[in-house]
Amino acid sequence: MSKVKKFTFRMKKKLMVLFALVLAAFVFLFYRLYVINEQNGDAYKRQVLSQQQASSKVLPYRRGDIVDRKGSRLAYSEKVYNLVIDSKQMHENDDEHYELTIKALQEHFPELDIDSVREYTTKNPSSRYRVFLKRLDYKKKEEFEEVMKTSVSVNNADGETVNIKPDGVWFEEDYLRKYPYNSLACDVVGFVLGNNTGFYGLEGYYNDTLNGINGREYGYLNDEAVMEDAIQEAQDGNTLVTTIDTNIQSIAEKHIKLFYEKYNNFYREGLAAKNVGVIIMNPNNGEIYAMAGYPVFDLNDPEKIDPTELAEYLKTSTSENSISANAIMIEQAESEKISADSSVSSESVSSDTPTAMDAVTEAKNQVWRNFCISDSYEPGSVMKPFTVAGAIDAGKITGNETYNCPGYLAVGGFNIHCHNKLGDGLLTVQQGLAKSCNVVLMNIAFSMGTDEWLRYNRTFNFGLKTNVDLYGEANASELTFDESMGQTDLAVASFGQGFNVTMIQMAAGFSALINGGYYYQPHVVSRIENSKGAVIKEIDNKVMKQVISESTSQKMRDMLKTVVMSDPSECTGWSARPAGYTEGGKTGTAETYPRKNGNYLISFMGYVPADNPQVLCYVVIDRPNTQYQAESTRLATVLNKDIMTEVLPYLNIFPTEEISEDEMAELQEKQGEFFIGSDGVSENSVSADGIENMSESEDAIVINPPETVSYDSAGNVISENKISYDPETGYPLDPATGEVLDPRTLEPINGVSSFMTEAN
Amino acid sequence: MKKKSSLYMDYSMLIVVVLLLCFGLIMVYSASSYEASVKFKDSTYYLMSQLRATVIGLAVMIIVSRIDYHVWRKLAMLTYLGSAFLILLVITPLGMEINGARRWINVGVSLQPAEAAKLGLIVFVAAKICVMHKSLKSLKDLIVGMIPGIILAMMIYVITRNMSSAIILLGITAIMIFVATPRYVYYVIGAIFVGGGVFGVIYAVSHGLVPKALTTFRLGRVQAWLNPEADASGKGYQTLQALYSIGSGGVLGKGLGQSTQKLGFVPEAQNDMIFSIICEELGLMGALAVILMFTILIWRFLLIANAAPDLFGSLLVVGVMAHISLQVVLNIAVVTNTIPNTGVTLPFISYGGTSIVFLMMEIGIALNVSRAKAATQIY
Repeated sequence: MSKVKKFTFRMKKKLMVLFALVLAAFVFLFYRLYVINEQNGDAYKRQVLSQQQASSKVLPYRRGDIVDRKGSRLAYSEKVYNLVIDSKQMHENDDEHYELTIKALQEHFPELDIDSVREYTTKNPSSRYRVFLKRLDYKKKEEFEEVMKTSVSVNNADGETVNIKPDGVWFEEDYLRKYPYNSLACDVVGFVLGNNTGFYGLEGYYNDTLNGINGREYGYLNDEAVMEDAIQEAQDGNTLVTTIDTNIQSIAEKHIKLFYEKYNNFYREGLAAKNVGVIIMNPNNGEIYAMAGYPVFDLNDPEKIDPTELAEYLKTSTSENSISANAIMIEQAESEKISADSSVSSESVSSDTPTAMDAVTEAKNQVWRNFCISDSYEPGSVMKPFTVAGAIDAGKITGNETYNCPGYLAVGGFNIHCHNKLGDGLLTVQQGLAKSCNVVLMNIAFSMGTDEWLRYNRTFNFGLKTNVDLYGEANASELTFDESMGQTDLAVASFGQGFNVTMIQMAAGFSALINGGYYYQPHVVSRIENSKGAVIKEIDNKVMKQVISESTSQKMRDMLKTVVMSDPSECTGWSARPAGYTEGGKTGTAETYPRKNGNYLISFMGYVPADNPQVLCYVVIDRPNTQYQAESTRLATVLNKDIMTEVLPYLNIFPTEEISEDEMAELQEKQGEFFIGSDGVSENSVSADGIENMSESEDAIVINPPETVSYDSAGNVISENKISYDPETGYPLDPATGEVLDPRTLEPINGVSSFMTEAN
Repeated sequence: MKKKSSLYMDYSMLIVVVLLLCFGLIMVYSASSYEASVKFKDSTYYLMSQLRATVIGLAVMIIVSRIDYHVWRKLAMLTYLGSAFLILLVITPLGMEINGARRWINVGVSLQPAEAAKLGLIVFVAAKICVMHKSLKSLKDLIVGMIPGIILAMMIYVITRNMSSAIILLGITAIMIFVATPRYVYYVIGAIFVGGGVFGVIYAVSHGLVPKALTTFRLGRVQAWLNPEADASGKGYQTLQALYSIGSGGVLGKGLGQSTQKLGFVPEAQNDMIFSIICEELGLMGALAVILMFTILIWRFLLIANAAPDLFGSLLVVGVMAHISLQVVLNIAVVTNTIPNTGVTLPFISYGGTSIVFLMMEIGIALNVSRAKAATQIY
């Protein structure tokens, strides 16, 4: 037996060394694993997640509609398609496939820059996703998908004929926001920019409600580890049912437009007014029928604003520049924008005029903002009924008092004037309102005192937001009186000077004044529905509070009726009355800051019928383009009348009063002007039926012959002796020139009047 | 000396091997089901194939473990020449090309000669060392001892362009001779030379000293190793994706079957890169468990080798130990980007039928050695 060779001790030692080396290698490798996790773990986790997302697809949600109270769509989202090029797939097959695809694209999409497609796909052969065309409609998409399915015979490089199909093109769903009425109710509806982000109006205020949640299509491994497509459907946005009435809105906008056409460049070069706002609402529940301003813009392309109008707003924001200079500025801004967009922009271009684009953006914001809720102003005499109502409700006056008006009242070292500086003598409270006498109102306010007056001011929600459901309501709380209010402050506050309000505050407060004292929150949306049409939220008409008693409200209605319904020499608002109806309301003429520049904000708040208010219309004209703005209140009352004349028949509010021959003639004269469908709402515009029916029924009405006063077409009083009086002020007018004359001297007044002068 | 048949063998090692096999099957299924369902519309395609190889492997292991290992000494020259013959078959029409690499032969089933060569070499070198044991002291003898390994490695490298298998063949030979010879000095010198050479290549590549014309496939891999982000979608892609898997796994992993990187991102997820999927799904803890299992396995080899009744038995086990250690270390080193990317599978776990069957044959031999030890101890 030969000696068996043994595994020696020395070898065992070396084997141990080997084991130790392997162990050391293991330890080192585990350390490597640890280091990878420690140093790059988070980054790699993100990397892995981002790689995954590439394999899933976003399914966009559809933003909800905005419809008016009758169901007409003011805004909706339409499905459109983006053309996506999958460069990798295009190159996956041979050159024949590639060329066929390019050719098909060229044929079907002439707007597509085919060279850029070639360039991109050649430079990025591994790209899977690149959008080349946006917002294609369904038809174009279907047509091209059909082409993609059709085999075409071509000769390949080897000269063989093969049947191939285009490859590497697909369509991605997207939505495009559309506004079928273009500019109608633009301030109320608002618009959408970029990735479904709403700006202004309802689009801005209800952005989250309108937006849904994106869906996703992604691959996953099922239990058998088979790759399956899972689709999580997109959750579409909710629909807003609004209280807006497209027809009433278009009536309001049409008359604002007519007003501008008439008064543009009327006294000086420029727009008819700095701003015009109209709110039409139901005073009994806070529902807003219409809210209009000027200028309007096309919601489908909000960036595109008429350059001359934009120049006008540039002027107001940059003060002294001439319109032509502003036009240059707009061009500059446009070119800046273009150069900023293109890659070749040089430093010098954009650094030269850094403010031009900002100024244009600012001007655009002026156009986009909703004057009715975003701007505050001193309300003027429309405030007077609030003062009277507060005093009656608080028991400080009965409403039967009389006050002597000498034309001014000395308060705290100032003589505070009435517009009729001659004075009206003894006036009742009712006459004080009808003639809009400041002295009467100051006396009433003094009988209340600052505390009581402030209490009612707060009760009517002044200094607080109304929380109307629109984007951008101004907060005027810093611009109202507080406890530090003095006697002079009280005196001017009684007739609406010295503090600021917004139109929506005034309209909501005035509604409470006349509807029995109930303050409703003004609102635009009445109902929110989901994408299937099921109601998910009913927005009730919300009574916030009772601000005055029913009986006070009744007294107010009686008084406010006389503002419109009295003899023209006895009231300021007679020219607001639509023929055939009773109307109540209040005129307003407020001097704007800075004082003594001859700038006034004129307004009229009216409601019909006078005894049972069904519809309220508030018109504000900021700085009309007339020589004597203070005497131009008629512009507001006439605008109110024109709007009401069309809105009332539409709302099935029937005329109760007799219509005079003159009114009849005026109606017929204006009929052509009124009832030619305004642009934008050709289908839904008010037909002439309403007024025709009315005319027919008038046959039965006995028409009284005109009495001593008659009216010219502009609403001026033409009296027997050929001397006419301005309806608002009662001042005499020069029969030859139509200028307003100083009642004392019968000399033309210079227009630079003020309600407050230093006492002698 | 009469050997009494005994039921004893190294059950600890057997249990570790079976555990690794089962774990391997689970991981192969997890890592491959997506690719299998995409490619073959059958998520279990790779699993079933691996399962068949495992069953065959277990059968082979049981048979081999009943064959007295001294038989292999007589068959040593035959196994060596047989291995070389199989490698030569690759260039005959029997050769098969898979994924652009010609490394397989088709003999009814596809077979990778490199795997057979590893076993053949272990047996041949063990037998040779037993013969020249006394004289294995001079440098000349060391080089002579390396020759069989060098020949096979050259054949593998030249014929199948499989660098990693060539390195493993050289490594197995070197380790077996290292253990069998008394001195360290030549190995230390050798290690210094190899290390210096490697450093020189790295330095040249990283400093752009290699002319463009000489930038071969291998050197490109070195570049990708030094800076995988530089060519993230090309040569660095596989390495980066493996690193993303490891890094995103964290300490406890995403959970078994929850890897997202296996969904088409990590190439060869069930094969060379399976360890990165283990790290992603089971985290650092899972990786540690796998490394510990291999540590136990290698420790058992050490014990069997130490207790073997003769030098040949010990050397056989040392060879198997060298083979498995090298593959584990190289595989994990590749996955962690510690060394340049080269295709090494993780023993018992990676997908690959030939590898499993020949590995199980090696385990069978080691088991038989452990039985022999037990038998001698009974006396």
